Amino acid sequence: MAKYFRRKLLIYLLTFIIAVTVDWCIPRFMPGNPVDLIISRAGLKGSAVSQMYTFYMQAFGLDQPIWKQYLNFWIAIFHGDLGTSIFLFPSPVTKVILGAVPYDLALLIPAILTSWFAGNNFGAFAARSKRLDNTLLPLGYILTGTPYMWLGIVLAWAFGIAWRIFPIAGGYSFAMRPALTLPFIWSLFQHWFLPFASLFIVQFGGWAIGMRNLIIYELEADYSHYLAALGAPKRLVRKYAFQNAMLPQLTGLALQLGVIVAGALATEVVFSYPGIGYLILQAIHNEDYFLLQGCFLFVVIGVLLANFIIDITYVIVDPRTRAGMQGGAS
Amino acid sequence: MTKGKKRNELLYFAFRNTKLKIGLGVVLFFIVLTFVGPLIAKYNPTDSVGPAGAPPSAQFWFGTTTFGEDVFSQFVHGLSSTFLVGIVGGGLGTILGMTIGFAAGYRGGNLDEVLNVLTNVVLTIPVLALLVVISAYVKVRGVMIESLFIGVTTWPWAARAIRAQTFSLKTRDFVDLARLSGESPVKIIFTEIAPNMASYLFMTFILMFGSAILTAATLDFLGLGPTQGISLGTMMNLAVLWSALMLGMWWWFIPPGIGITAIVGGLYIMNVGLDEIFNPKLREM
Amino acid sequence: MRKSTFLILSFLIVMSMVLAACAPAAVATPITITSAPQVVKETQVVTQVVPATPAPVPLTYARNETLYTSGTQWGPPSSWNPFNGGGYAMGTIGLVYETLYIYDPLADKFIPWLAAQDMKWVDPTTLEIKLRDGITWTDGTPLTADDVLFTYKLADPNGDFKAGLNFAGLYNFLSSIDKVDNLTVDFKFKANPAYQEVGFYLWQTPIVQAASWSKLDVKDITGGANENGIGSGPYLFESHDQDRQVLVRNDNWWGIKAFGKTPGPKRIVDIVNGSNNVALGLVLQGGLDLSNNFLPGVATLVKGGYGVQTYYPEAPYMLSANVAALIINEQIKPLDDVNFRKAMAYAINTDDIVQTAYTGIVKAADPTGLLPIWDKYVDQDMVAKYGWSYDPAKAKQILADAGYKDVNNDKFVENKDGSPIALEVTCPSGWTDWMASIQIISKNAQAVGINMTPAYPDYGPWRDAQLKGTFQLSIQNESQMSSTPWSYYKWVFQNPIANIATAQYGNYGRYDNPKAFDLVNQLNQVKVGDDAAIKAITSQLQEITLTEYPTIPLWYNGLWSQVSNAVWTNWPSSADSANHYLPASWRGYWNMTGIEMLLDLKPAAAQ
Repeated sequence: MAKYFRRKLLIYLLTFIIAVTVDWCIPRFMPGNPVDLIISRAGLKGSAVSQMYTFYMQAFGLDQPIWKQYLNFWIAIFHGDLGTSIFLFPSPVTKVILGAVPYDLALLIPAILTSWFAGNNFGAFAARSKRLDNTLLPLGYILTGTPYMWLGIVLAWAFGIAWRIFPIAGGYSFAMRPALTLPFIWSLFQHWFLPFASLFIVQFGGWAIGMRNLIIYELEADYSHYLAALGAPKRLVRKYAFQNAMLPQLTGLALQLGVIVAGALATEVVFSYPGIGYLILQAIHNEDYFLLQGCFLFVVIGVLLANFIIDITYVIVDPRTRAGMQGGAS
Repeated sequence: MTKGKKRNELLYFAFRNTKLKIGLGVVLFFIVLTFVGPLIAKYNPTDSVGPAGAPPSAQFWFGTTTFGEDVFSQFVHGLSSTFLVGIVGGGLGTILGMTIGFAAGYRGGNLDEVLNVLTNVVLTIPVLALLVVISAYVKVRGVMIESLFIGVTTWPWAARAIRAQTFSLKTRDFVDLARLSGESPVKIIFTEIAPNMASYLFMTFILMFGSAILTAATLDFLGLGPTQGISLGTMMNLAVLWSALMLGMWWWFIPPGIGITAIVGGLYIMNVGLDEIFNPKLREM
Repeated sequence: MRKSTFLILSFLIVMSMVLAACAPAAVATPITITSAPQVVKETQVVTQVVPATPAPVPLTYARNETLYTSGTQWGPPSSWNPFNGGGYAMGTIGLVYETLYIYDPLADKFIPWLAAQDMKWVDPTTLEIKLRDGITWTDGTPLTADDVLFTYKLADPNGDFKAGLNFAGLYNFLSSIDKVDNLTVDFKFKANPAYQEVGFYLWQTPIVQAASWSKLDVKDITGGANENGIGSGPYLFESHDQDRQVLVRNDNWWGIKAFGKTPGPKRIVDIVNGSNNVALGLVLQGGLDLSNNFLPGVATLVKGGYGVQTYYPEAPYMLSANVAALIINEQIKPLDDVNFRKAMAYAINTDDIVQTAYTGIVKAADPTGLLPIWDKYVDQDMVAKYGWSYDPAKAKQILADAGYKDVNNDKFVENKDGSPIALEVTCPSGWTDWMASIQIISKNAQAVGINMTPAYPDYGPWRDAQLKGTFQLSIQNESQMSSTPWSYYKWVFQNPIANIATAQYGNYGRYDNPKAFDLVNQLNQVKVGDDAAIKAITSQLQEITLTEYPTIPLWYNGLWSQVSNAVWTNWPSSADSANHYLPASWRGYWNMTGIEMLLDLKPAAAQ
């Protein structure tokens, strides 16, 4: 087991190093000079321009040799210093991202967990039930094929504009000050619900289908037939099947994380929900390399952490890994 | 059981499988529409040909956009880039996945280790975030470039699956036999291993095809798709930018989404159908 | 198993919700801290001025006391520094920091704001500014001549700070600024000062508090966030979050006594907007009172009974805010040929752009490019003589006469030396109205035989190409409405050519004409209000733009403004009975009468 974790850690470390390197490359190989853009945005004129130019070139360290810039970047990361945002000048990138991340987590964690649990349970329930299999599961297929943002906009229009049940923008009511009161939490919930729902619905379909297929595989496996032949109750057989099918679904979750995060970014844009999604988009359009770097780094760290948690869960859930399975097909 | 008989049996189940029939039917319908559509669409997709924002009518089947463009013409023209992304992006992803999966699975050892690490790295870096960054580099983007990006970043999933399959197949007798008769590894992979997992590879391709379309739609929607040409994703993007749904022009916003959903959903349903055909255990009783 | 699963699940959901709930609260913590001293400050002021009890900040703002705006802020508020020209939070200049004058473009009038009286030139080189008596900063201290002196001296190239601020150009002709008495400042200029430019700075430069700003170093003055700065205006920054900026009324504002008017809204909540789609949704939901977003299809909304009002009840619905022109790189063939440029001017169907790309919410530009507020300067004889309109046949004729022929029968004309022409017209990807416009432009050009295609690079590379002069054709609209047409001609004829990249304001095509450059300087030296002299000089400049085509003015981008009468009424409009202020919350527009709009807003119920 120690070896298994060592291996995993090595891979994570390597991924992190590569991701950071890619990240570092972002501003340096992009067309255009970020400093020119800051100055143009600041609306400076005449001699002030060259004065500011030198100042920012030094501030961003763009006037140093490449290797030193790379080294400085690593040092800065460990100091939590990701530079200054250009688009949101003069806010430090770390501050901008820390302001947005809670919204991302509040959206992603519940959406991933609930859709995974609910999807799996429903899939297991529907498997081998001919009626559900032929009615509700096709709906699942259609849902997995739906682009998140399209569904999001349809929901926003239906519930926000046509029926006016839910708000369509913002993290909480624009008429409120944050406070730990019930109305405020209710407002948070209302604004959170539609983005959450569009993420949930699309993912739910995927997990349900996956589980349904896996359960059928398991129910047709020799051990199930053997148990059934021994006279074990149907419920027990299905319970074992469900437990075994959870493992591939857990791996599936790890594989899907990147896609889910991407979906969340698009959903945030649709609902003007504060979060990294909208920041990334603005950073690209405004050539805000430092903000882009920061967002990318945060997403990578987030996905790595989630992967790690899934790995640990896997070991806890799967007795074979605990017994010393060494990577293998995982 | 002879090979011929087995094939007949497969065909028999294929014809009986409703999922396959429905899925394939939907996908074929859109493929046919891709080729026939431009012939029956009366207008150039980017020409202003009618009144602004007209609802569907006999003249404009899907209505018109804010600019008086014919939505139906845009839709059928957009389909072709959507399929192109699927074929090129999904195809490239599958080929890369196959190459790496076969190499890792058949060779094993150090090569496997290295490729495994590579796969894991690409797997962990969020594809969309990376695509977003890459997209920002290329000033003027086409559908081809978008497809290539998608192909190059989405292979790890396929590589893993194929590696696992290869791993189990390579210890089989017929592979050992081929190895003993001195055939080259490449030949063994392509004549012995690949045919035995053909169905699996095909299903992998279908899944990659669908996910490439969805990824492209997300990129297009964020305005990071092709800056030239038209696709279902860019149609959606423009419809949103011009507030089509809010202004009641549902005919502009709904069709591209339905199109993508139907194609990808159809592919997935088809995939499950195929799964049932190839794996007798899964067939409905 | 299932039971425990659900237990874990619900626990996690609750956890993440708590996380979400606490997050904004955490963001708000510094806000509470920042607003606390303000409350204290208010009490201090209150004890000096009027006895009143400061109300605690409510958790929910009353709808009938709150104004919701959007259209300025495209990302979380990040700077409250009035010298951060392009990035300060909505209202920093105009609502929190104030200028000596504000400018009314529709009446072409300077309105004394912090200043007590109209601009007074004691002699041709001395401008005397007298401040109103009784203006206080929000910390209760008086705003005096020292603050004005300090502010203007920040940019002094020989001063203590040497800050490269917007108004540094003033020092090209300023010899000294002197304090006469506590409320009077004299600006002394060298001979022939640029009166137009001086006027421009007087309504654009925010006055900051000497006592607090003198402690900052130059880096923080030009680039600091200035989060808890002390202003003098009718509003104070109260709080902000990822998606909003809240301002609260300064009930001790000097203007309440001076003008006898109190700004209507107790609070202004400026909503950060991701997309126009969402802005339109908010308007439909009644969540926005003043939307300065570009909302396509607004014509439908105005007519459709949604309670949405625009400045004009009919097309073009919006006031014209700036001119969008085709900018042309004069350094490359065949764009260096005036006849080729002339042919393009005749080839473009501007009315089609107005109707198709904008659904009629903008106006086609006058061939001179002068905004409607400068109509009085347009030399109609000149326009009659040289002006152009959409005429493809004439465009073809001009090309043929100039020697551009289709040599290889590809339906496109070739250069005079027979080499093919392939032009590209660009605008930033995602700027949908412009994207639609350049599609029309390229189609028009192709129709007369000019091979032109649209391209949509991202904003950064697009902007870079202009600064470096590597673009071919593009659209630009940087020149906004202002107190002087000089700002427009400065944009067209920015010089010297070598400084285009650093000046970052116009003439990206590197049009070189010393005569025009000289005329722009002459125009700058005309006294404010001397319309005859302005007309004489701009008439010569018009002749140049109409015959040389340095840029091709196409249409006037609107002062996008959609207002709702549901909660607030008495909005500016073209109706005779209404006020004619600018209904805008954009940067640089509060001090162009936007603030006066606030003073006149009335709650809907009160009517």
